[in-house]
Amino acid sequence: MLTRLKTQVPLFSMNSYTKLGEKLKLSGLSLASTHSHVIRLGRHNSKMAVCIAVIAKENYPLFIRSVPVQNELKFHYTVHTSLDVVEEKISAVGKAMADQRELYLGLLYPTEDYKVYGYVTNSKVKFVIVVDSSNTSLRDNEIRSMFRKLHNSFTDVMCNPFYNPGDTIQSKAFDSIVSAMMVQAS
Amino acid sequence: MAQCVQSVQELIQDSFVPKVAVLCSEDAQKITRKNNLNFSELLRPFCRLTSEGHMRDSNNQVQVVKNLRISVNNVVTRPSVPTSGVHSPAQRRLLSEVVSASQPAEGGVANVITAGDYDLNISDRSVKASVPWYSDWRDTLTELSTSKHYTATTPWFEAYRESFLQSMPASDHEFLNHYLACLLVVSSSEAVPVEQFLKLSQEQHMIQHNGEYTNPKWFIPNTLKYYVLLHDMSQGDEQRADSVYEDMKQRYGSQGCYLLKINSRTAAAGTDEQIPDPWSQYLNKSSLQNGVSVNSLDNTHPLQLETAIDMPGSLDCLRAVATETKTTTVYTGVAAGTSHGACLTLNDHNRLRLFIQEFTFRGLLPHIEKNIRQLNDQLVSRKGLSRSLFSVTKKLFGGGKVPEKSIAELKNTSGLLYHPEAPELQIRKMADLCFLVQHYELAYSCYHTAKKDFLSDQAMLYAAGALEMAAVSAFLQGGAQRPYPAHYMDTAIQTYRDVCKNKVLAERCALFSAEVLKSQAKYSDAATLLIKMTSEDSDLCSALLLEQAAHCFINMRNPMVRKFAFHMILAGHRFSKAGQKRHALRCYCQAMQVYKGKGWSLAEDHINFTIGRQSFTLRQPENAVLAFRHILTNDSQQTATQQGAFLREYLYVYRVALPQLPLPCINSSATRVYFGHERRLAEGEKQAATHVSLDQEFDQDLAAVWQDLEEQVVAAANRGVVPSTFYPTQCCLNSQTDNLHFPLAVVEEPIIVEVAFRNPLKVPLVLSDLSLLWKFTLKDFSRPQPQDVMVGDAVTITNEKEAIAPRKHGIITTEVIPEFFMSPEETRVARLKLLPRQTGQLTILGLVYNLASTPSTGDSTINSNSFSQNQGPSVRGRQDLEIQGPRLNQTKEEKTSVSHGPDRRLDPTITPPMPLLEVFFLQFPTALLCGEIRKAYVEFCNVSHVPLCGLRVASTHPDFFTFGSSSLATPLTPLSPTSFENCSAYKTLATPPGATPGSVTAVTLVSAADFGSGGGGVFGTGGKRVAEIPLGEGTLTPGESTQLPLWLRGPDQEGVHEINFLFYYEGAEKGGKIRWGDHRVLRHTVFICASRSLSVRATACRSNTLPEEEGRNGSMLVFVDVENINTSEAGVREFHIAQVSSSSKQWRLHKCINPAENKDCKLTTRERGKLCFRATRSTSKSLEKYTFADLSLGNEQIISSTTPCADFFFRRCQSSESWRPLIAVETQGRHSRSQGAGPGGGAEDITGVVRKCNEVDLDIIVLWKAFVVEDNKQVILEGQLHVALQTIGKEACSLRQKEEAQEMVLLKFKPELPPPMTRPSMEQLSHLIKTNLHYPESYSHSFVQKSLCMIPVILTLSNCSLAQVDAIIDLRHKTTSPESLEVHGSFTWLGKTQYKLQLRAQEVMRLPLRAGFLHAGVYNLGTPRVFAKLADQGAMCETSQQTATPALIIINST
Repeated sequence: MLTRLKTQVPLFSMNSYTKLGEKLKLSGLSLASTHSHVIRLGRHNSKMAVCIAVIAKENYPLFIRSVPVQNELKFHYTVHTSLDVVEEKISAVGKAMADQRELYLGLLYPTEDYKVYGYVTNSKVKFVIVVDSSNTSLRDNEIRSMFRKLHNSFTDVMCNPFYNPGDTIQSKAFDSIVSAMMVQAS
Repeated sequence: MAQCVQSVQELIQDSFVPKVAVLCSEDAQKITRKNNLNFSELLRPFCRLTSEGHMRDSNNQVQVVKNLRISVNNVVTRPSVPTSGVHSPAQRRLLSEVVSASQPAEGGVANVITAGDYDLNISDRSVKASVPWYSDWRDTLTELSTSKHYTATTPWFEAYRESFLQSMPASDHEFLNHYLACLLVVSSSEAVPVEQFLKLSQEQHMIQHNGEYTNPKWFIPNTLKYYVLLHDMSQGDEQRADSVYEDMKQRYGSQGCYLLKINSRTAAAGTDEQIPDPWSQYLNKSSLQNGVSVNSLDNTHPLQLETAIDMPGSLDCLRAVATETKTTTVYTGVAAGTSHGACLTLNDHNRLRLFIQEFTFRGLLPHIEKNIRQLNDQLVSRKGLSRSLFSVTKKLFGGGKVPEKSIAELKNTSGLLYHPEAPELQIRKMADLCFLVQHYELAYSCYHTAKKDFLSDQAMLYAAGALEMAAVSAFLQGGAQRPYPAHYMDTAIQTYRDVCKNKVLAERCALFSAEVLKSQAKYSDAATLLIKMTSEDSDLCSALLLEQAAHCFINMRNPMVRKFAFHMILAGHRFSKAGQKRHALRCYCQAMQVYKGKGWSLAEDHINFTIGRQSFTLRQPENAVLAFRHILTNDSQQTATQQGAFLREYLYVYRVALPQLPLPCINSSATRVYFGHERRLAEGEKQAATHVSLDQEFDQDLAAVWQDLEEQVVAAANRGVVPSTFYPTQCCLNSQTDNLHFPLAVVEEPIIVEVAFRNPLKVPLVLSDLSLLWKFTLKDFSRPQPQDVMVGDAVTITNEKEAIAPRKHGIITTEVIPEFFMSPEETRVARLKLLPRQTGQLTILGLVYNLASTPSTGDSTINSNSFSQNQGPSVRGRQDLEIQGPRLNQTKEEKTSVSHGPDRRLDPTITPPMPLLEVFFLQFPTALLCGEIRKAYVEFCNVSHVPLCGLRVASTHPDFFTFGSSSLATPLTPLSPTSFENCSAYKTLATPPGATPGSVTAVTLVSAADFGSGGGGVFGTGGKRVAEIPLGEGTLTPGESTQLPLWLRGPDQEGVHEINFLFYYEGAEKGGKIRWGDHRVLRHTVFICASRSLSVRATACRSNTLPEEEGRNGSMLVFVDVENINTSEAGVREFHIAQVSSSSKQWRLHKCINPAENKDCKLTTRERGKLCFRATRSTSKSLEKYTFADLSLGNEQIISSTTPCADFFFRRCQSSESWRPLIAVETQGRHSRSQGAGPGGGAEDITGVVRKCNEVDLDIIVLWKAFVVEDNKQVILEGQLHVALQTIGKEACSLRQKEEAQEMVLLKFKPELPPPMTRPSMEQLSHLIKTNLHYPESYSHSFVQKSLCMIPVILTLSNCSLAQVDAIIDLRHKTTSPESLEVHGSFTWLGKTQYKLQLRAQEVMRLPLRAGFLHAGVYNLGTPRVFAKLADQGAMCETSQQTATPALIIINST
């Protein structure tokens, strides 16, 4: 557990030179593997997140999926922390304007490795998508459409009469939609 | 919250104070040593000036110097630390020590803060302690951000900051840390003090100008020298000192020297006077700091606090002091034993204070003032600037060139060094001087100018310093003159860090910047800055900064709780890396509050795990255990390996004596308690009573059945009354049983507790040495015996001690399960046994066991034989069993509130020995044909040490079995010659050889009471289902067993029948004082599969023969229709009707009318046969006795009046009485009325009377034999079927179909009106009078001779009823059609054609009639119509009586 967190701490280190070196090293190492990614990227329209989360109105997770799996805890922390920004963004919009507010919240905050995007439904259910910072092909519009897709699928889940609102989502359809949006673990 | 005791202004101001060096002569040092202090230490507590000072600036304007502090230090000339950008290891160690020494006070009052939907207990009690006006979170926030006086909540951070700032080495690019003045101290006891002064002065000069020493840096070349003559009051000559002082004054001027008198207290006198020790808090700190030159910045000196200017209220001060002293107690612990200032009186304290004041105001400030002037002049002259600096700065600002741009372009500038006397540095020097004396305005403009100069010279280090100080002085100016230039700070930090690679300076700068930002409520910026400052280099620093950042997040206007928590975790992680375990733990704990119970289980588990580990390393096993518990008991989403790791860690941590274990989970409400021995189900051929066992599921309905049975049997045993203390016996208690009472357990009988375990983990668990924990209070329920010492005083014994090392216990034997293995996520029950050996009150507390995890190899095949101790850590611990009782829901209060009743399942009372019965069944069948009779044996065994009596049995199916009648001898069935290889259950007699079958009837009179299953219970109210068991002497002595025959009869209904037996018994010594001593019960349940055999239908007809022939009492024809309905059974070959018997109080079968040709009446599958019998009224006059008449159709006669047959007959009566109660009642009623001869009115009478005529009340018993092939062997089964004939003409069946119809009754919502029973139906009334015609069958008459033939006919009228009947006989032909008249018309009744008669009860009357015939032929004489009505029922119409059967007469013509 502790070693997991270790990887997290340098997020905030400003020793950018060593950081840069690390990054270069990493990218060099993974060059071979990214090759195969390129092919897959094309197929999936390069819509790829590393973590997708659905969070209930009361801020407990309804659904969290992340790749790679071994870093799950880190993503949990990241998503949880991003809720503060979500709340800040929601509260920034005035009460009167709350109805017309846009659901997409945009970039919540960037970390060194990831970008965190947020989306809030009218029922205050939050969607959070974490993408790799290095993934420059993802633009705002694409993130937006990912959220829309996620929202549609979530609506389908809610329409299921056997789904009890507030339970964790176990729908297979939703799951497949999410996995389609995720980077395939290589 | 990262609020400080000091305001930001104070903090910065105190970080940069004028420094004064001290040079002390040997003698002077000796004097101060008396107080355990050196001279600088002696002065330290008094270094803050309490009064205002004044000085003039270069423009001759008066500046007020408030609250100034100076720093006095010994000159240390050791080689300086190289001013690299990082801390030396020693410094790091020091800082780390400082931080770890400062810990939050433990056991502080919990302070819950609500932020959003989170309740946080952020920082123990310090918020509350320092903020007395605390009312709620928002207020606190606003107050804190507006209040100038900040409060400390992270003292470790402040301690760190303080030490950090003090350990700042004096560097060349700034002068703030350089010495401004030097105190030369000489003792008055010196021979020639003036010489000493000279020597010291020279020494100082040497240090400063020799160039040998770089370390003590000096501000200005001509350092102020201040001459202090130290006089020891206790030793020296005061006058000499005064004179020396006068001399000094002459020499150095009165402003340059001072006479300080101390040590006025003699050591002996000192003890009684309490002198405060202001040194302790300073000195221990400095002793910790290992000789690094220290400026104590602390302003919270208790003696000075009251004069502190900014304090808003005294209460605050006191609290702040309290907080401060709390933290310093840590230090005092380090250097305990040394006291300071032992020779000083309060007066001396005042002198010291006065001395500092004098020195500062007379010496230091003027010196600074002078120097500022000088520098100013220098600058003005050197730069050739004629205008004042103010205008210069104005111009510079007006020029508006932003210097920052150039910084970025610079590359290699950190190396550039100015000569100390370089003109560029002079302006910086002046700025620093101004800054030190709080002339911030001038300082700012100087810094600003210096910054420009440095930048243009590309001297980046100098520039950064100037930028930093410019920003700080701009901030300190306050007011709205100049906005705080935040970007200066940012640039400075960046330059320090990136260009100069000086982490320490960058950090200092960032600390100031963050403080300033916080004071301006720019928390977000502060947090960003702090987070940026974290680095890989110093874990401690990063941790502290992250923590501060976290505090910033929570201080924001919209508190960012989650960010707070996240950064707390990061901080905790860094703390733990830095070895600050306590701080790490605290951080994690605070973060935990945010994550707790919000569904983020992965994060929660991680935090809990870390907390557990940290707590463990900090020797807080309770907390560790608590945290680990949390991971283990929660519904974990972790992987199996992770869970395994958690479990191992937990077990490793767990070393407390008998701790509460979290695993496995116990479903305490599912706990079941069983009292008594475990049952052996079978023993050889014997089949034990099923009783109750833990393997059975609890069934509410069944429990009600058993309770009902028990109530009946108890009522029967208590003469029909259920005692008020009655309480149903419960052998097995569970969540659904009534657990309000203390259950009873008998001494020497085991108590078995079944506990439901659930393993929530994905890893297997091994429990070993599992046993129960209990508490026992000894009580003697029997008469107190003298040798029993323990009686009376309740001694409570528990096995908690022994539980650690299990061993045998004398009072209660506790069974230990050596190993209990649980696979992942398994739910399993464990049964634990206790055997009480003495009477008393037992309470089962819980369980004790060793918990171990299996090796993580995944080898789940570990079981008891491979059990070994070395399979990983195991912990002996306990888990309590606490069962919550049922929710109370009776009264209104209980309904509105949630309250629970008691549950006493686990608190059994151990009673004195009681009898214990065991029942075994032998040859007990499982399948029977309907009505089949089988003989079995039952064995009763008293296995206790107490005699047993009062054995009774109650059953749901009392007609299923019989023990035989008690009055008659019940020998084993004699073997009759004709009996087959299996001896018949019946008692038989061979039929006399000559007799024709079906004609001989043996008649026996039997009283029902003989077969009433004994006792008064038979016809008692509730006792119908209860039978007393005929034991030999009525008791069973201990160990005795007795065998009794038991006859069974297959139920009449086909199908599977569940038959419950409840055996009741009691102790021989009944009526003790103890309420529970009355009885015990044993349950037995059998399942009998009944298959169809024969169906018997019977009808009775009134015979039309003349009364003379049938005797006085009349006769009847009984038709018995027997059908073999056994279809499915291939094994059953055929049924033989062996005998038909009757049983009635009034009737008996007389003879068989159509005996079969062969001996037996055989019926194969689906065959049907009809038998016809004549029944006559029995001659017996005894109304209560039953007449049994046997009509054997075979070659042996079964004596139906003896045990099995008659028993079942009577048992059937008992059970069938439930569906014909009316008759029995009316029969009784009729008897009484006829005896009283009172012709009572009322419709019910008529009904009774009328029905009586038709009533038969004859029971037919059909005894059969079935030839069955079983395992290629022919077996003969016997059985009997009963048919009850009640009414003439009505068919009765052996199967009761009515009951089924009854069950289907629709639910009616309106109360049904009672059926109008007033009028007997016409059909019933038509049976009042029986008619017979008596006439010759044929008659010859010569119509030639006489045309009219007259034949006398006798009409016999017999009144069937027991009442007087009016009858009208109408002889007239009722012509229905003209044709019939033509056919039969030629005969007429002669004489009176209508009679009115009255018949008394059962009177037979003959009425002579005459019929006249005109032709020969066949005539039907049955034309008279009889109408009858009861005589006393005037209003009633006569009803037509059943017409007689056609009575044909043949008239022959001769």
